[in-house]
Amino acid sequence: MELLKKPLRARELVAIVFMIIGLKGGDTTPALFADEAQNALWLSPIISFLVILPPFLTLMYLLKKYKTKNLAELIKHLLGTRVGTILGILLFISAFISMATDMRNIVEEINYLYFPDSPTTVIYAAFLFICLYVANKGLDTIGSLAWAILPVIAVTILSVMFVDLQDSVWQRLFPIFGSGASVVIKDGISLSSVFLEFFLLTIMYQAFQDTRKFRIGIGIGGILSAMLIVSFYAVYTMVFDYNTIDNIAYLYQESTEVIPLGHFFTNISTIFMVGWLFSNFLRFAIFLYIVCWLYGALFQIKRFKGLLVPIGFLAMIISLIPPNFIVNELMVRKTSLHWISPIYLCFPFILWAASYWKERRKQ
Amino acid sequence: MKNPLLILCLFLLPLLLGGCFDQKELEEQAFIVSIGVDNTNQKGVFRFTFQIANPEVGNSASGTSANEPTQEVISVLGTDFLTATNAANATVAKQISLNQSRILIVSEKLARSTDFIYLMQSAPSTVDIKLNAQLVVSKEDAEKYIRHNKPQLESRPHKYYQYMLDRAKETGIIPDAPIVRYFQITEGDADLFIAPYTTTEEENPKFGEEDHYKAGEIPVNGKNQTQFMGSAVFKEGQMIGTLTGEETRFCLMFDSTLTQKDIIASYTDPVKPEFQVAGRLEINNVDVNVNYLKDKQSTIDVYVNYSLNVYAIPSTVNYMKNTEKQRLLEKSINKQIGERADNFIKKTQEEYRAQPFYWSLHVRSKFLNIPEYEKADWMNKVYPNAKVNIHLELRGLEFGKIMRESEIKEVRD
Repeated sequence: MELLKKPLRARELVAIVFMIIGLKGGDTTPALFADEAQNALWLSPIISFLVILPPFLTLMYLLKKYKTKNLAELIKHLLGTRVGTILGILLFISAFISMATDMRNIVEEINYLYFPDSPTTVIYAAFLFICLYVANKGLDTIGSLAWAILPVIAVTILSVMFVDLQDSVWQRLFPIFGSGASVVIKDGISLSSVFLEFFLLTIMYQAFQDTRKFRIGIGIGGILSAMLIVSFYAVYTMVFDYNTIDNIAYLYQESTEVIPLGHFFTNISTIFMVGWLFSNFLRFAIFLYIVCWLYGALFQIKRFKGLLVPIGFLAMIISLIPPNFIVNELMVRKTSLHWISPIYLCFPFILWAASYWKERRKQ
Repeated sequence: MKNPLLILCLFLLPLLLGGCFDQKELEEQAFIVSIGVDNTNQKGVFRFTFQIANPEVGNSASGTSANEPTQEVISVLGTDFLTATNAANATVAKQISLNQSRILIVSEKLARSTDFIYLMQSAPSTVDIKLNAQLVVSKEDAEKYIRHNKPQLESRPHKYYQYMLDRAKETGIIPDAPIVRYFQITEGDADLFIAPYTTTEEENPKFGEEDHYKAGEIPVNGKNQTQFMGSAVFKEGQMIGTLTGEETRFCLMFDSTLTQKDIIASYTDPVKPEFQVAGRLEINNVDVNVNYLKDKQSTIDVYVNYSLNVYAIPSTVNYMKNTEKQRLLEKSINKQIGERADNFIKKTQEEYRAQPFYWSLHVRSKFLNIPEYEKADWMNKVYPNAKVNIHLELRGLEFGKIMRESEIKEVRD
């Protein structure tokens, strides 16, 4: 699929990466990491990023080598149409499940914290409607919207950080390895597909005026997001203690809730809801768009925007199956991530092997 | 009918009304300022007392409702916070909202019972209760306390609690005890939690030094007898004793996670021991160093660095110009604080066998992971047997705005 317009620049990608990955600092992902690692939840993402790095760099190397291909085209080119499509479907399904569970978590969070009396389905429908509306506007709108909203989010993040640091005690980071170094490493590797969006974003490789800009954008965005996630998780540990942290589901909101600013501003958590909500709308609009793009590219559907509604709706229906948030987060999401991680960690190497084999055969 | 997509969009618009599910007018809510909890004869059933503020009184815009009372107090039985608010709706017309309540008062009787931790367990999952609300222990029944408490100057009850707690916290006679801290310390299972202690009943008042009191012992003459003084000590989520104001100050002084602004205290004058020297103590820095030895006695070194601003020297000894006497004063005050602190630490080691200073934080870095740390058992094995050394250092001695004490002897001549 050739894109006629190549609308994106590096700064939009930085914003997009920040939205789609950096925001995992503020959703339910920390609760997932804290479940076993306890106060070392901030070390696990470091391990995850380190584990993701080699396959990701391999993928980037391949994309650079085959200049005019994006993720789906690359897979098909290297593995042949049949095998490539199967692998592509695997990637799509993993991304789809990950999106669905994430979306349910966010909706539950909005529901439980801000609209406790509303039915989940109504909030979900409203949420999905907005995401679809944004996603339907196309890539250039998403990109510039992400860039435009970035200041709001940066202000929110910095002020949350400031508020949280008022009440944090750095000694709570110790014992440094939480419930054990082996648990931290195991968690970091098996849950590394929490950050699978890095791989998915390469579907946008051809949407840039110059592919060098993609590499710059994803590099800067990735580093910023990693810094944000690690520092946020560390702050959560410093605010709550190791025994309390694995009881709390919504660490981001809860951390702003327990801290008063002086005696006038005592309930400040709602202030931070605005930026958080904005960014999550955008995050899932992007996620949905990318997942549909991947599907479209796999099956040669050029006008893949038509897929947004069915795929979004399907994700909503599927993600409403788990009876509650805890089952969704700690069982469905965790188990699915355990299965997804090996796929995403391995496929760039499979591609690389295929490319290597192909070249040797040519000679 | 030209654009079907537009019509579809119009059909989707009502979705946005989803935001109105939780719509609640301000008038439809009753804001609770303080919650009181007592135990009853039945296990697992508590008496909840809600103090409901009347937002229309004391408001500059109020004209018609000037004769309404400022607050209403009701009490109902319930098993947890949410069911109790529901039960209260039997008499209160509005929806009861807990999210403005800044203070949770529990009676000493309840705090000392094993039921208490079960009650608290329901607090964090109640969305309405803010975890930064203060936990306060009242000597009498919480219901009685709320009904007796009649602040004279603050007609709006929420302000009263806010100011009272803030001011008392600044002077260090009561600790800062948000509910979240109760959970952190109870779940951490290594330290003691302390909560403000309060009462409206005066009981054998006597004059002592300014902070050697517990609530109820301070001789105050006035209409409102409410006193906040000292603290209740909780071990493993259950109250086990009370501390005086002075002991509470030591807790705050040695705890590096808390801040206190000023302590006004008096000490014996070293030159003329029948007099006292009064001043304001400021803690600049606390450093705790734990030397953990496995299977041996560990040592804990506490370095406290403070400055003193002397306000009153009734003995008229001229400390201002005499550096030698200053050094004497410094030494004497160090010794006095040190002795009292040592006594208090001994008390915690022998009587409570645990400490309220949150020192477990400082031993954590000696361990690599939580299982090792929990096996070492700071609460039961390490601390009660440890050797604690307090190192006090006075940095900066100031004497206020007067250059020298007037010579009273010459005046009386």
